[in-house]
Amino acid sequence: MDKFSLFAAQLLTFRECFSKKGHSACAGCGVALAVRHVYKALNENDKTLEKARWQIPWKQSSIFKTTDQPSGQALPALLSVPKENDNILNICFDNECTESRIKNNSLIKKLPAIAASSDYAYTATACPSHPFDLFEKVNKGWEADGHAYIHILCPCPAGWGFEPQETVRLGRMAVETRLFPLYEISSGYYQVTTDETNPRPLKDYIKKQDRFSSWKSKQIESLQEEADVFFHKLKEKTKTGI
Amino acid sequence: MVNKTFKQKSIACHLLETGKVLPFKSEEKPELMPVWDKDLCARCALCYVYCPDAAISRQEDGYFDVDMNLCKGCGICHRECWFGAVTMQEAD
Repeated sequence: MDKFSLFAAQLLTFRECFSKKGHSACAGCGVALAVRHVYKALNENDKTLEKARWQIPWKQSSIFKTTDQPSGQALPALLSVPKENDNILNICFDNECTESRIKNNSLIKKLPAIAASSDYAYTATACPSHPFDLFEKVNKGWEADGHAYIHILCPCPAGWGFEPQETVRLGRMAVETRLFPLYEISSGYYQVTTDETNPRPLKDYIKKQDRFSSWKSKQIESLQEEADVFFHKLKEKTKTGI
Repeated sequence: MVNKTFKQKSIACHLLETGKVLPFKSEEKPELMPVWDKDLCARCALCYVYCPDAAISRQEDGYFDVDMNLCKGCGICHRECWFGAVTMQEAD
């Protein structure tokens, strides 16, 4: 065996099924990276998607409008689907680009839990910085018997305010600091897929981004506490179920 | 790089504007383009995996190269390469 075939990334398909003609996203766009990975994962299941490229239905929805409460239209649009359809894979590309989104971090974290409690067969969170994890989850969601919902965190260089080359690094950091834990809920059972035993301090993640430039250390501490509480609740749920 | 503060732009994503998700070729060339050093490259394909523009493709010999028309010069391949094989250099 040649030595280069040992690397895990070589196991991927090298057939490109995304945007051979280019797209208009910014340099280092996290959404484009996530969409590319999702298409790559889906393409192994269904060859007809190769022709579709950007034609797969997708829409913009702002979950938070002027208030901190979820707007009446956005949440159902995101999570509810017609009941007569048996299998729908619902993927949310979250670039965290609304002002109130930062203020209220806790609500959007509940979206996978909301989906799981409303009879979704498979729910997961993913990040393009962990591509193999993302492939697995998209495959599982595709094969799930019922509705599936996947929430993908997509770092946004223009909105968050960092250099475009840091996109993957920041996504990884969000997972390592436990701010965005990767987990999946399969038929009521929780499983944390990246178990960070030694989390990074949240300061590293906050300091890299311009959107948090006005934050004081107190706010960082409170967010750290919030993230820790959320993670511990998650760990407890893995033992007990919903 | 960032000219506006976060409050001034509610959503910074150009993909969300209608008509912008169609196939698109930028006439503007990026300032920096990735160049591979074949002596250092281990052909691990990490640069390929993390390219958001799908600009990097595998050559027949297993090494990687960039499509000049698609690359936007974000530098993720340079940042993520474990072996330091990818350097960003000024485009010709």
